Amino acid sequence: MAYSLPEIHQATLPSGMKLLGVEYDRVPWLSLTFMAKRGAETDPPDKPGVADWAAELLTLGTARRTQLQLAEDIESRGASLNARSGWDATLVNLEGLSEDFAELMATMAEVVQTPGFPEDEFSLLAERRRAELVHQQDDPREMANIRYLRLFFGDSPYGHAVPGELPRLDNIGVADLKEFYRREFTPATGTLVVVGMEAFARVKEEAARLWGSWTGGGPASPPYVAAPARLCAPGIYLLDRPDLTQSEIRVGHLGMPRAHPDYFPLKLMNYILGEGGFSSRLMARIRSDLGFTYGIRSSFSCRRAPGPFIVNTFTPAANTAQVVDEIRAVITEVHQNGVTDQELAEAQSFYVGHFPLGLETSRGIARQVMSIDLYDLGTDYLKRYCDQIRGVTLKTAAAAAQDHLQPDNLVTLVMGPASVCAESLRNLGPVKILDEI
Amino acid sequence: MTPSRNFDPAAWQPEITLKRFTLANGLTLFVLPDHRLPIVSLQIHYKVGSRHELPGITGISHLFEHLMFRGTETLGPEEFSRILQAKGGEINAFTTRDNTSYFENLPAEHLELGLRLEADRLLNLKLDDNTFQPERQVVISERKLRSVDSPFGLVEEQLFATAYTQHPYGWPVVGWDQDLHRMTLDDCLAYYRSHYHPGKITVVIAGDVEPESARDLVDRYFGQIPAPAVAPEPKVAEPPQRGERRAVLKKVSQVEALFAGFHVVGLDHPDLYPLNVLAVILSGGKASRFHQDFVRKGKAIALDVELAPLPFSAQDSDLLIIAAVAAPGQSLPELEQDLWAALNRLAQDGVTPAELARAKKLLRSQAVRSLAHNFFRGLLVGLFHLKTGDAQLANQILSSLEAVTADDILRVARTYLREDNRTVVVLKPVTPEESAALGALQ
Repeated sequence: MAYSLPEIHQATLPSGMKLLGVEYDRVPWLSLTFMAKRGAETDPPDKPGVADWAAELLTLGTARRTQLQLAEDIESRGASLNARSGWDATLVNLEGLSEDFAELMATMAEVVQTPGFPEDEFSLLAERRRAELVHQQDDPREMANIRYLRLFFGDSPYGHAVPGELPRLDNIGVADLKEFYRREFTPATGTLVVVGMEAFARVKEEAARLWGSWTGGGPASPPYVAAPARLCAPGIYLLDRPDLTQSEIRVGHLGMPRAHPDYFPLKLMNYILGEGGFSSRLMARIRSDLGFTYGIRSSFSCRRAPGPFIVNTFTPAANTAQVVDEIRAVITEVHQNGVTDQELAEAQSFYVGHFPLGLETSRGIARQVMSIDLYDLGTDYLKRYCDQIRGVTLKTAAAAAQDHLQPDNLVTLVMGPASVCAESLRNLGPVKILDEI
Repeated sequence: MTPSRNFDPAAWQPEITLKRFTLANGLTLFVLPDHRLPIVSLQIHYKVGSRHELPGITGISHLFEHLMFRGTETLGPEEFSRILQAKGGEINAFTTRDNTSYFENLPAEHLELGLRLEADRLLNLKLDDNTFQPERQVVISERKLRSVDSPFGLVEEQLFATAYTQHPYGWPVVGWDQDLHRMTLDDCLAYYRSHYHPGKITVVIAGDVEPESARDLVDRYFGQIPAPAVAPEPKVAEPPQRGERRAVLKKVSQVEALFAGFHVVGLDHPDLYPLNVLAVILSGGKASRFHQDFVRKGKAIALDVELAPLPFSAQDSDLLIIAAVAAPGQSLPELEQDLWAALNRLAQDGVTPAELARAKKLLRSQAVRSLAHNFFRGLLVGLFHLKTGDAQLANQILSSLEAVTADDILRVARTYLREDNRTVVVLKPVTPEESAALGALQ
């Protein structure tokens, strides 16, 4: 059957803040997000976590309501409030039943515009974070991700852990959080995204009433768009974890920014390389043929500045060196010879066929709208998307593989039991042993 | 999606329209038409899960789920996924204690292809050692990921193994490591012949499809498949627990933790609804008792009441689990005492009207949000039918939750959250050297 794409309505409020809305009628649900278009990349180098903590503290009390009052008022409506920071943006999200539209809209405005920054909640938040980060050390997947980014990016903005890092927690004070909020929460870099069972005319009216005179802070930090001047040297790095039975493996190099014109050829090529599940070369080789892992995937994190390209997997420790070697071989093959006609056609038909499945939930639609706004993709992006996918040719996909895969420049991190895997890894080249996490 | 101008939440109807068919060979089909997007969720639920296994072949249901992707007489390994993914589909499967479910969320125009390929792998699966051996290694890697190297995986396994002495829910769905190593291709093929036939299948098709045409398609591809007589399943029940059971698991860990399991009820039992409300009162959301008293104040990193969400509760008596992770520097024994005191207060004083209303509205809103997914609507109908025999229970969730009273909460708290009915496993951190001295982790 024919279906029409959701229309993205747009308005600029008197304050200069942008409002984006999509009318959604599958279920009576409402998803509200305030997006401040600056995130953890603005964290001071000695204070990783500031942006994300600031986001959470917004949910822990306003000028008018305490943490408990706010939680009770929101949850008694069956709604939920969450806030977090990521790379390039900080999101405050409030979701609930659309019958509570007026209350949810008012609460969102209150949380973002009049935060309480309560000192006692800050102390509790700091202690919770400390405990969570201690506990995180028991999660090998998470630790390998964090350690890889620090290894790869060093002290440059994408190198730290968004929720904070244990050795530097004491550097953060509530004043840092207030400063982040004062600087980055401004109408000029803020967007309110409303997806739900409500007519846009009413959304606009209510948003203008609640946000029209908000002046916020600013000026926001300049956007971070440049690649770091210095990156980790290629090679194999080993972090010994004698208690693990499997090695966590990360292999990668610098990727590209979201604004790069090769985005779509790269997306298709990477689907074939490692993002397309059982349709990908990495999965076919390392899981299906060899049985060495339950899961493997590759991803390009395309942000304002070039993010990382990373292959992510794990394997029983005895297989470690062979898996590292196989990953390198698969990347080299795609880099040198591109992809096949059939692979490209199947990747294209996957993305085109899958497109309407992303329109089922308000959250899924909101996520797409935010990405469109954050990276200036244009409000007609959804209408152009399938044509962009279809427009990729064998030649442009091969060129993307040539230009953006760097098999001779790989930074490989293994986190696993050195007694089982170090020797065989040395057969692949010099292995640098890393200290603590 | 045809834009509708109806933005009145009160006019929205939560009821899932469902039409049931039974084929001559015993296969059950539910069709849930919804024409707003050109997509369908095709689900094939087999009534076989870890409860059907025996000691020595634990994990075979799940391993076999993997093998169903390894090729047929005409398709190579993983080609099933590749073909349907190339149509835009989300292809996957999951195994639980009671069922093995395969699904394809697809553009509606490819429904027939999905059915044809599902019937093909039911009839013409082709396995040999070249496909079996790597897949067994994949599952061994999955077990290490989910159980052995994960922070609490082995603690949860120990909890179920201690809480269930006679019921097969005592072993993990992924299976014991030794059984995974010991199992043979012949074991898997025998299991396949016993459990993979139309009498054990519930097909659900949710989305942009007309019931009669869906029935015709299913009949075309599945109607001729013979079904052996299905023997009635033996009823198994865990005997009532007569006193607290405790176990300790030592593992390298940065935190101390305990997992407490209380025997409760299965999916067909009305007490499941007050139990769900109770779980939210205790630990759902930031206004919940446990968040306010333990997590917010830094006594616990986490204190969660875990009850498998509808419709994933087990067919037979399941466990309600309280997972308590002490914050560094906090005493686990003290946390445990405070936890039991909190449960005793609940069983003594009950809950306030505001607590009850908050929890019910949270559960209602979660249910409403989930109904946006064809996939979830299909799971509700398919799994309620498979585990209780009554698919219409999927349409009674909201009213069953709404009917829960404060007296119900008090009653279920007193009935189930008793010391004699609980099993506690404590995670005791050790150094890597101490861990090595205790033997290999499996």
